[in-house]
Amino acid sequence: MRSEAEVNHAVERYADMVQRICFYHLKNQADTEDVFQNVFLKYMTYDQPFHDSEHEKAWLLRVSINACKDLLKSFFHKNVVSLEALDEVEAESTEEYREVFEAVLSLPAKYKDVIYLSYYEGYTAAEIGKILGKAENTVYSLLSRGRGMLKEKLGGEWSGQ
Amino acid sequence: MNGVDNKIQDAFGKIKADAALKESTKDYLAKKRGAIINPIPSRAFFKAFAAACAMLLLTVGIGGFWWAQTPVSYVSIDINPSIELGLNRFERVVSATAYNPEGEEILRGLSLKGKRYTEAIDCVVESEAMGRYLAGKEELVLTVAAVDSQEKEIESGVAYYSGSVRHRCHSVSADIETAALAHDNGMSVGKYNAYLQLSQYDSEVTLDECRHMSMAQIHGLLIEHGHGGCREAQQEGVREGVDSYWGTDRQDAGESLESGGHEGHHHGSHHK
Repeated sequence: MRSEAEVNHAVERYADMVQRICFYHLKNQADTEDVFQNVFLKYMTYDQPFHDSEHEKAWLLRVSINACKDLLKSFFHKNVVSLEALDEVEAESTEEYREVFEAVLSLPAKYKDVIYLSYYEGYTAAEIGKILGKAENTVYSLLSRGRGMLKEKLGGEWSGQ
Repeated sequence: MNGVDNKIQDAFGKIKADAALKESTKDYLAKKRGAIINPIPSRAFFKAFAAACAMLLLTVGIGGFWWAQTPVSYVSIDINPSIELGLNRFERVVSATAYNPEGEEILRGLSLKGKRYTEAIDCVVESEAMGRYLAGKEELVLTVAAVDSQEKEIESGVAYYSGSVRHRCHSVSADIETAALAHDNGMSVGKYNAYLQLSQYDSEVTLDECRHMSMAQIHGLLIEHGHGGCREAQQEGVREGVDSYWGTDRQDAGESLESGGHEGHHHGSHHK
C-alpha cells in the first residue's frame, strides 16, 4: 500500500484531471465524489511501481475513465444526459466557454475521451489508443468524427486535423 | 491550433477540482487505510463465522449421535439361539446382534432399539419364537459385560430379571474385554464366556465346537467334567469352578439340569 504522503500528493496533483474526466462523463457531484474515492483508493492499494510520472498519469487516466464508465453502466445512470453538469462549473467559468462545454457534453460518450485526451492532454492517437485500449485506427476515426461534430456545433474556424 | 482549438483547451482548463472534494477524498482514503490495516469484521467474515458455527454444531450433533449410538456394555441372551444386545451410556439398546440362524429368527420382527435393557431382554425372552426353546430343557443364560460405570446397575438389573422369569435362567457377569474377544471370534459374550469356562477343564474343546453347542450342552459338559475321572483334589476345584459359573451350589449341581428350576441365580465370573 502506498504511503499517506504519496497518496495525498497524487490527489493534489491529479485531482483536476480526474475532475475534468468526471465533468464530461458524469451528471452530478455525488457521482464525481464516488469516482474520486474509487480512483484514489485504487491508486493507494496499487502495489506495482510506476516507471515515471507519465506512466503514473496514463494509469490514472485509464482508471478514471473506466471508473466513470462503470458508474454509467450501472442501472440508475443509464440514459441520463449529462448536460446538467454544466451548472456546477458555471459559477467558475465565464459565459464565453458555455458554448464549448455544451458542444463537448453533447457529444456521444465514445467521442468525449478522445477529444479530451487529444485536445487538452495533447496525446497522440497511438498514446490514446494505449490508454483507452483501442486500435490506433479506431482512435483516428473517433477523433475525426468527434471533431466533425464539434465543428458543426461550434462553427467558425476549425483545424479539422 | 486555431481559435476554436484553443477555446476547447481553455474550457477544459477552467475545470478544477474544488478543495473540499480533495480534502474529503483524502479523509476517505485515511479511513480506508485504517480499515485495511485493522479490518472491521466484514460480511464475508460473519458468513465464514456462521459457516464455522454451523460446522461445529454439525460436528457436535454427529459426535453426540455417535456418542449415544455407540454400545459401551453388552447383555447376551444365550440358549441355543445366541443374541447380544449392545447398550449405550444410557443403558438403552443401540444394537441387537444374532450370532446364529436361530438367533436371527428370534430377532426378526422384534424392534429393540431405544428400549431399556430390561424391557428389551423381556421382549426377546417372551417372544413367540423363543417359546419353544424355553419349553424344553434348555437353559437361558443372560451374560452381562458392562463398563465400570454401569456394571453395578446392569448386573443387578439382569440378576433381578433372571430371578423373576418363569424359565430356568442364570445371570452371569463377564469382563468388558471378554466381549471384545467374543466379537473378534464371532460369538456372543455369553457363549464365549461359557467356552472360556469349559476350556479350563477341557483343553481339547474348540471354539467352533462351542459355537454350535447350546448352553445346556456346555453346562452338561461342565458338569460331566466336574464329576468325571479327575483326581479328587482337581475335582473339588472343577466343581467349584462349575458351580460358581452356573450359579448352582454343590448340593443341587447335579440336579439343576433335570429340575426345571424356576429360580434364577447370579454369580460373577470375571476373567482378567
